[in-house]
Amino acid sequence: MAYLEIKGATKSFGNFTALNGVDVSVERGEFFTLLGPSGCGKTTLLRAIAGFNDLTSGDITVDGADLRRVPPHQRDIGMVFQDYAVFPHLSVFDNVAFGLKPRKVPAAEIRTRVAAALAAVHLEKLADRLPAAMSGGQQQRIGLARAMVINPRLLLMDEPLSNLDAKLRIELREEIRDIQKQVGIATIYVTHDQEEALAISDRICVMSAGHIEQIGTPQQIYGNPQTRFVAEFVGTLNRLAPGAATDTLVAGLGVKNAALWAIRPERLALAAPGEAGVAGTVTRYTYLGREAHVHVETAVGNLAVQVANPGMAAVSAVGDAVTLRLDPASLLAFDADGKRIGAEP
Amino acid sequence: MRLRLNFWTIVAILTWGLLAVLLFEPVGSVLITSLFDKDGNFTLANYGTFFSQWRFAQSFFNTLVVGFGALAGALVLGCTMAFCVSRFTIAGSRFLSLLSILALVSPPFIGAYSWIVLFGAGGVVRGALRDFGINMPPIYGLGGILMVFALKFYPYVYLMVSGALGNVNRSLEEAAEGLGLTPWQRVFKISLPMVFPAISASALLVFVLAIADFGTPRLLGRGYSVLATEAFAAYSAEIGSNFSMGTTISVVLIFVSLVFVALQRYMSRRNVYHGNLINKPTRIRLKGWRNVLAHVVVYAIGLCGAMPVIVSVYYSFRKTNGPVFQDGFALQSYERILFNLADVVTNSLTFSLVAVLLIVAAGTIVGVLVARRTSLNTSLLDAAFMIPYVMPGIVIGIAYIAAFNTGPVVLTGTAAIIILSIFIRRLPYTVRTTATALRQIAPSLEEAAVSLGYSPFRSFLKITVPLIVPGIIAGGMLSFVTAINELSSSLVLYVGSTMTMPVRIYLLVLDGDFGTAAAMSSILLLLSGLAVYIAFRFMGRNEQALL
Ligand SMILES: Nc1ncnc2c1ncn2[C@@H]1O[C@H](COP(=O)(O)OP(=O)(O)OP(=O)(O)O)[C@@H](O)[C@H]1O
Ligand SMILES: [Mg+2]
Repeated sequence: MAYLEIKGATKSFGNFTALNGVDVSVERGEFFTLLGPSGCGKTTLLRAIAGFNDLTSGDITVDGADLRRVPPHQRDIGMVFQDYAVFPHLSVFDNVAFGLKPRKVPAAEIRTRVAAALAAVHLEKLADRLPAAMSGGQQQRIGLARAMVINPRLLLMDEPLSNLDAKLRIELREEIRDIQKQVGIATIYVTHDQEEALAISDRICVMSAGHIEQIGTPQQIYGNPQTRFVAEFVGTLNRLAPGAATDTLVAGLGVKNAALWAIRPERLALAAPGEAGVAGTVTRYTYLGREAHVHVETAVGNLAVQVANPGMAAVSAVGDAVTLRLDPASLLAFDADGKRIGAEP
Repeated sequence: MRLRLNFWTIVAILTWGLLAVLLFEPVGSVLITSLFDKDGNFTLANYGTFFSQWRFAQSFFNTLVVGFGALAGALVLGCTMAFCVSRFTIAGSRFLSLLSILALVSPPFIGAYSWIVLFGAGGVVRGALRDFGINMPPIYGLGGILMVFALKFYPYVYLMVSGALGNVNRSLEEAAEGLGLTPWQRVFKISLPMVFPAISASALLVFVLAIADFGTPRLLGRGYSVLATEAFAAYSAEIGSNFSMGTTISVVLIFVSLVFVALQRYMSRRNVYHGNLINKPTRIRLKGWRNVLAHVVVYAIGLCGAMPVIVSVYYSFRKTNGPVFQDGFALQSYERILFNLADVVTNSLTFSLVAVLLIVAAGTIVGVLVARRTSLNTSLLDAAFMIPYVMPGIVIGIAYIAAFNTGPVVLTGTAAIIILSIFIRRLPYTVRTTATALRQIAPSLEEAAVSLGYSPFRSFLKITVPLIVPGIIAGGMLSFVTAINELSSSLVLYVGSTMTMPVRIYLLVLDGDFGTAAAMSSILLLLSGLAVYIAFRFMGRNEQALL
C-alpha cells in the first residue's frame, strides 16, 4: 500500500461535482504533481487532503491511517500557499518558528532548526526582518521554510510560483525540487503550467473536470499520452484533417475506429530537396532563436513543424513550396471518446 | 467544531436580542406612539395634523431647503478644495487637511455660536465693518444656517472627493490629452465622471447630516424651524403627556433621512473605479496669479471652516466679568469649569469611555460574526445595522424616552440611557470596520496557522487578532470622538445629574455665557484631538477614516 492513498474522492458543491471519484496514490519521498486546466479540481483535492474542505465521499489514508477523521490542525501536513500567506506581523524567524511552538520543541532546538531551514532557502540574512516589504520570491521562500521545518508527513503546494515572474519561477522551482529531494518529504504540487510539471515531478497526475486523465512519469505523460486531452494539454498537437489524404497516409498502420489522427510538431521535419514526403506551402514562419515554427498547409491539414537550431540559411518564406518528412509511426490515433488507440500501457 | 458553532449561534442570538431591545423596540415605540391618541386608540390624526398644519408643512419644506442648501454649499467648497489640493502644488497641504479635521471634529452648534460672535447682531466683525461704513445683515436665519453647514460639512466632500481624485489613473487623462481634448474637456469628460460617485455619495451624506442637525438651526434659525427643531419643541412641550406629535415628526424625519441614506448607499456602492495606481496623478505647480488665487481660495475655505475652533479657543482665554468679555486674557473660564462644572466633564468622559468600551467589545464580536459566518442570518443583521445610520440623534433620544419611560425597564434619567443611545448609534460603524478589516485578511493566513498545528480558535487569536487590533483601537478612538461630541440625543435624555459637555455648552450658549462655553468647547476639542491623534498613530494618518 502506498504512503498516501486517496480512493474514490468525490466532492460536490451543491449540485456541482468538483471531484468525481479520484484515485491517487503517492509514495514516500515522491514529488507528485497535479496538473490541469483552471477549475478542474486541483485545489479542491489539495484542500481535502489538508482538511480545509472535507470530501463528500471517499477515503484518504496516510501510512494506513484514516486522515479524514483527524482535524486539520492535527494532520501534520505542511502547506505552501499561492499567496504565500506569510504572517505580516511576525519576523521571518518567527514565521518559520511558528509551527514548532505547538509541537513543544525546546527553544534551543527551535533556533537550530529554523536557522537550518532559513539557510536551505537562502534567507538566513533576513531572519530578523518583517516580511511585509519583501519580494514575492523571498516571501514564498519563507512559506517554504515554514512548511518544511515542522518535518510534516506531507507537503502540499498550491501553485506556489504562479505569482512570480518567469525567471524567478524557474529558479525557485529548481530550488524546491532540490530541497524536497534532500529532506525526502512526499510532496503534492499543484500547477497548471505543463512545463513546470514536466521539469520537477517524479510523477504527474493530469486532471480534467474533476476526474483523472492519466498518471505517469513526465516521459509517459508527454511521450505516451493515454487520452487526447493529455496530448493536447501537455505540449502541442497537430490534428490531421479527416479526408482521403489522411486515410491514404494511415492506411498502412492497420488501425480501425480512429476518430482523430495527430502528430507532435517535433516529430515533423522539413525534407531535403528531392526526398519523398507530404507536399505543402508555408503559411507562417515564426523564428524563436533556439527553434522555429513553420506552419505548412498540406493535403492533410495545416501542420506546425518545429525546426530545431534554425540556421541563418534555413529561413522559409510564406508561400514557399516545401515537403514534410512524416513518419506514419509517429502518428497518434484517438477514438471517438478521446482515448488513445494503440498506446503502450 | 460543534462548540464553536454553538458559540457563534449564541452570539447571533445575543446580537438580535440587543438590537431588539436597543433599536427595534425604541423605533417601534416611536412609530406606535405616533399612531395612537391620548386614550390609546388607533388614529392617523397626528399625521393629519402634520400634513394639514401650515407650520409643519413649512418645517418640512425648510428641512429640504436646509438639506439641499448645505449639500450645495459643501459641494462647492469641498470640490474646489479637493480639486486644488489634488491637482496643484499647495504649500502646507498637511496643515490644510488639519484645518479640515478641526472643522470635522468640532461640535456644529459651536460653529453656529462662533459665527454669531463674529457676525451676529452685536458681532465683532460686523461692528468693525460698520465702523468702515459697511452695513451687513446679521447672519441669523436660513443664510446663516447654510453658511455654517457649508463650512462644517465641506470636509466630508473634500476628503471623499480628493480620495477619489487621487485614484484617477493619470494615464486616462494623458490618453484624453493625446486624443486632443482641452484641459476643460478633460475635467468634464474624464475626471468628473470618474469621481462622480464620490461626489454624489458625499453630497447625500451631507444632506443626511444636515437634516439631522439640531443645534445649528436652533441657535441660528431665529424662527426658521426645521423638522429636528420642531420634533424637539414638540417633545419639550408635551413632556409627561403622550408626546405623539414629537414622534410623528420623528417618523417623517426618519423617512426623509431613509430615502437619502438609501440613495447614498447606492451611490457609494457604485464608487468602484479603482485605478491601478501605477500611474498616480501628479500635481501641477501653478505660476503667478493663478498660484496665488489657488492658495487664497483653499486657505480661505480651510480657515473659515476652522474659524469656530479658532474663535472658541481665543475666547476661552479672554477675561470675563460674568458673561461679558473684558479686555485682556485670563483663565477665569477654565477656573469656572474646574470649580463648578467638573462633574459635567467627568460625566462626558465616563459616558464616552464606557460607551466606547461596549462598542469595541460588542462591535468586534459581531463584526467577526458578520464577516466569518456568512449566511442569510448575518446579511439580515448587516441590514439591521443600517437603521442607526438613518436615525437622527434627536429621534433616537425621543425613541429612547418612548421606550424606556414606562414598562419593565425604566431607564429615563439614568446614565445608562445616554450611554446606550451612544452605543447603538456607533455600534454599526465598529461592526462594519471590523468586518471589512477581517475580509481583507486573506483566509490563507489562518489556514497556514491551522496547517502548522494551531486549532482554528488559536489561529484566530494568534494571527487574525493581532492584525486587526490596531484598526479596532483606532476605530474605538474615532467612536470616542463621536461619543463625546454627541448633542442631540443627550439633550433629550439628560437630567441634571447626567449632563454632558455638549449639552452644557448648548445651555451656556443659550444663556449667553460664551466664555465658559468657549472654554468647555476647547476642552472638548482637546479631547477629540487627542483621540484622533491616537487613532492616527495606530492606523497611520488617514483622514478618510473620520468620515
Ligand atoms: N466553495 C465552493 N463552492 C462552489 N464551487 C466551488 C467551491 N470551490 C471550488 N468550486 C468549484 O469547483 C471547481 C474546482 O475548483 P478548484 O479550485 O479545485 O479548481 P483548480 O483546479 O484549483 O483551478 P485553478 O487552476 O483555477 O486554481 C471549480 O469549478 C470551482 O468553481
Ligand atoms: Mg486552484
